[in-house]
Amino acid sequence: MRVLLVEDEVRLAENLTSGLREAGFAVDHAANGLDGSHYAEQDLYDLIVLDLMLPGRDGKTLLRLLRQKGIHTPVLVLTAQEGKTWIIDLLNAGADDYLAKPFDLGELIARSKALIRRSAGVSSPELRAGDLTIDTVQRTVTRNGQVIDLSPTEYRILECLAHRPKIVVSKKELLEHLYDYDWEHHSNVIEAHMSNLRRKLISPTGESIIETLRHRGYRIRSGGSK
Amino acid sequence: MTVTSSLTRRIILSVLLLEFLAAFVLIGTITIHERRIQFEAFDANLRAGANALLGAVQEAATSDGSVLLDLRGLNLPPRATFSVAVDGGHVLGTRGSLPTVDLKPDTSKHLALDGRSYGFYKLEGERIIDPGRANAVDHQVTVIYGLPEGRAWHSVFEATRYFSLATLAFLGITAALLTWIIRRFLHPIRELANAAENIDVQRWTFDAPPSSRQFLELRPLSFAIEKTISRLQRSFEQQRRFTSDAAHELKTDLAVIKSSFQLLGMRKRTVEEYEDGIRAGLNDISRMETSVLRMLTLARLEQAPMDEHQVSNLTEIIEEAVGQSRPLAELRQCSIVHTPHAGALLVSLSKEDAFLLCSNLLVNALQHSRGGAVEVQTQRTGARMVLGVRDHGEGIAEEDLPHLFDAFYRGDASRNRERGGTGLGLSICKAICDRSGGTITIANHPDGGAVVNVELPCRRPIE
Repeated sequence: MRVLLVEDEVRLAENLTSGLREAGFAVDHAANGLDGSHYAEQDLYDLIVLDLMLPGRDGKTLLRLLRQKGIHTPVLVLTAQEGKTWIIDLLNAGADDYLAKPFDLGELIARSKALIRRSAGVSSPELRAGDLTIDTVQRTVTRNGQVIDLSPTEYRILECLAHRPKIVVSKKELLEHLYDYDWEHHSNVIEAHMSNLRRKLISPTGESIIETLRHRGYRIRSGGSK
Repeated sequence: MTVTSSLTRRIILSVLLLEFLAAFVLIGTITIHERRIQFEAFDANLRAGANALLGAVQEAATSDGSVLLDLRGLNLPPRATFSVAVDGGHVLGTRGSLPTVDLKPDTSKHLALDGRSYGFYKLEGERIIDPGRANAVDHQVTVIYGLPEGRAWHSVFEATRYFSLATLAFLGITAALLTWIIRRFLHPIRELANAAENIDVQRWTFDAPPSSRQFLELRPLSFAIEKTISRLQRSFEQQRRFTSDAAHELKTDLAVIKSSFQLLGMRKRTVEEYEDGIRAGLNDISRMETSVLRMLTLARLEQAPMDEHQVSNLTEIIEEAVGQSRPLAELRQCSIVHTPHAGALLVSLSKEDAFLLCSNLLVNALQHSRGGAVEVQTQRTGARMVLGVRDHGEGIAEEDLPHLFDAFYRGDASRNRERGGTGLGLSICKAICDRSGGTITIANHPDGGAVVNVELPCRRPIE
């Protein structure tokens, strides 16, 4: 899952980037409103964490422009402003949630996960893919109560696919959602992770839950997910 | 303790008092006038009575030319007293008591007699019996006629009483009318008070009622309220903005500190990672400390009264500030060009505030310079001195110029907190200048860069 963080306060941005990355997100950071707009308009992100007081273009304007352009990425607003009218204004401008500064880092991560899964049409923190149960809070995968040991990248690939059940996810799209711009990535790296993942997820019947469609991408095998 | 008193009551009482005085004078005049008229009539009565008595001296039935008094057909008032005498002593008739004093003829005299006041009239006339005949007898008749004055006095008293009662009734009606009229006239004041009462922190608008603008006397009051309210509102809004901005800054700083330590606690880390995390957290805390200290400085400067007796020599303090800013200048690859003033420049500031002013200006100039020089100049003209600090940076955007002294305002380009500090530096400078009766202005130099000019009242050195 890839998150865009738009925050001008350098130290806060550093901490949030580290925290979100440790929670398994790919994070891009924009330090002002104009860069933030530019990044967000690429429509690559699963979530935008947006500060309100920004140089260049303030958060509310950015949000409104984004919604006008038809980009529906969920937006979590960070604000130090007080007062209910502000919050009502923000939600009406297209924000999905807000956190008042000084917020709790754990809460920010939990809300981020909730927003992402709700935007994918899932309300429970547990995803099901075939006979697999994916716990997005603990970031563990179990089959019939047996924990399957996955590397962080493998887990993220699986979570990304499980959020788009029955849909073919291209390799490019997968890359875009897994890695931020800071990541030095090569397309064959993902193929290596994918082959490991497929091997680890082979079911007792000898089938992997992930289907590879040549030149098109990957998909969670149909009938698997709810 | 203040004693409340009513303006209405005062006006009514004053008017009534004036009316009462006027009525008093009027009644006095009327009484005097009435008395004169009554006594003229009284005197005329006396004369008429005396003449009637004279007329009643008739020829006696005897033919010796003697006379007698015939009172038949004469209708004299019951209390009238008289005596009629002929030829120096022979009394023809008398009634009632008569004064013992001598009366002048043809004049009336007012005397007290038997405890009553009487008016007497003495008439001397002739009664000629058989005039035109040879044996005509000429009698000298002296008539003294008196009447009690009670009736005249009674009339005067009655007239006075009538006017007094009429005046009292008139005063009563006037008081009632005045109360009503003054209440009506004072209504605009009450309206104004109601309008003023509606003002509170949530609603700063003062709608002067139309009546308060209509009346010449109320207009200054209404304008004064309007002006005061807008001044208060401005300063209240300023305070509110300051509080809200300060809260915003502090919350952001807190968010940084909190997230630093929460990040550290997200999972088990190596000792080095913990050490780095604690160091970063401590840095965040010291930055917040700086913010808080600056806010407190600003609050102190804006609130505490100025000590008139504090004097510092700006020439020395500028040198000190320049010296202290050299490391920052080196870091920013700038030079500070400063020609010290030849003499002392004494200003009414404490050493700390003066230093804060100079160093803030220098730091601000250095932060906006990229290479080049920061020029510091001082100049004294009469009772004032000017300190100019010029940088060769990118200058100030037009839209930022009016806000540069607002607390927490950071021009967009410099908003980056890493570089811009707390956004309180120039506000603190302005507060210091305001305290000592000086001014501070900032402008773009025609040849690029910005120039800050501080003008302060300068004291004469004590020899």
